[in-house]
Amino acid sequence: MNTRVLMTLRVEVATPQNIGAVPHGTRRTVPITGGRFEGPRLRGTVLPGGSIDWTLLRADGVLELDLRATLRTEDGALISMRSFGLRHGPPDVIAALGRGETVDPASYYFRTTPRFETAHPTYAFLNRRVAVASGDRRPEGPIYTIHEVL
Amino acid sequence: MPLTRRDVLKSAGALVLASRSARAVTRPWQRDRKKEDRMNSRHLMTLRLATAATEEVGSTRHGTLSIFPVTGGSFEGDRLRGKVLPGGGDWVTAKPDGTFELDLRVTLETDDGALIHMTFSGVRDDANHYFRTLPLFETAAMKYAFVNRLLAVGIGEIGPEGPVHTIEEIL
Repeated sequence: MNTRVLMTLRVEVATPQNIGAVPHGTRRTVPITGGRFEGPRLRGTVLPGGSIDWTLLRADGVLELDLRATLRTEDGALISMRSFGLRHGPPDVIAALGRGETVDPASYYFRTTPRFETAHPTYAFLNRRVAVASGDRRPEGPIYTIHEVL
Repeated sequence: MPLTRRDVLKSAGALVLASRSARAVTRPWQRDRKKEDRMNSRHLMTLRLATAATEEVGSTRHGTLSIFPVTGGSFEGDRLRGKVLPGGGDWVTAKPDGTFELDLRVTLETDDGALIHMTFSGVRDDANHYFRTLPLFETAAMKYAFVNRLLAVGIGEIGPEGPVHTIEEIL
């Protein structure tokens, strides 16, 4: 698999909405209040409002992530991003993350698979690519290093 | 059969090895992960699909929909192998920009009888020789539970006998 760095995306999150135990697991909705992304070919900000991560903690201890975010490039293009992801790791590491501690991202699995949609011709290449990302869950919000799959 | 001294030594050796590996548990994604510059992956399986005649649904909300019924196939990797059960399919939407959006669902049966539900979304862009998918797996079989916990990327090509996907686990 050949990949190339597309961007580093930092999102800022608000207080999570704990929906609680639902039929598939424990659901928690995390509103995104803003953020920034930066890469060799695009950079800009994350818009609040339509940017949310819907998370579901499964019975097997794996956290499923379903993130949707609207990105605005510095030249004014809007890009809709959706990514499905998984996060899991040793219980002590997951507990430390739960306490809001900063943990070495290599000590747990946090990967997502972003897809993009845009109408802007400069960024139309994103419509035709799949991407993979590794995440680093910080207290203030996650940092994703997103790679396009070549 | 009486135990020989050699057997005893062998089992003692195995115990030492087992306790060593228990102490130094290295998960796959912790290996060789150079910070930020690349994503590591490893081969999960090569999936070959056999398909029947396309069902051309025609113009729909998002483009032109064609359904490729899956009639069988095989998958093979170091950790799992078996056959593709008939009954799945790939819902392929031709979009106005010339690319195809893929939406596959199949059932895999391992050679020891476990069933794995597999889906993928993906992009096929023939003009740029790009055919990539994002597979997801679900199984209730304990032996294969690791597939529930991984994300993957598939590199697709159209072989003489149908589509072939080289699927790599994202580490």
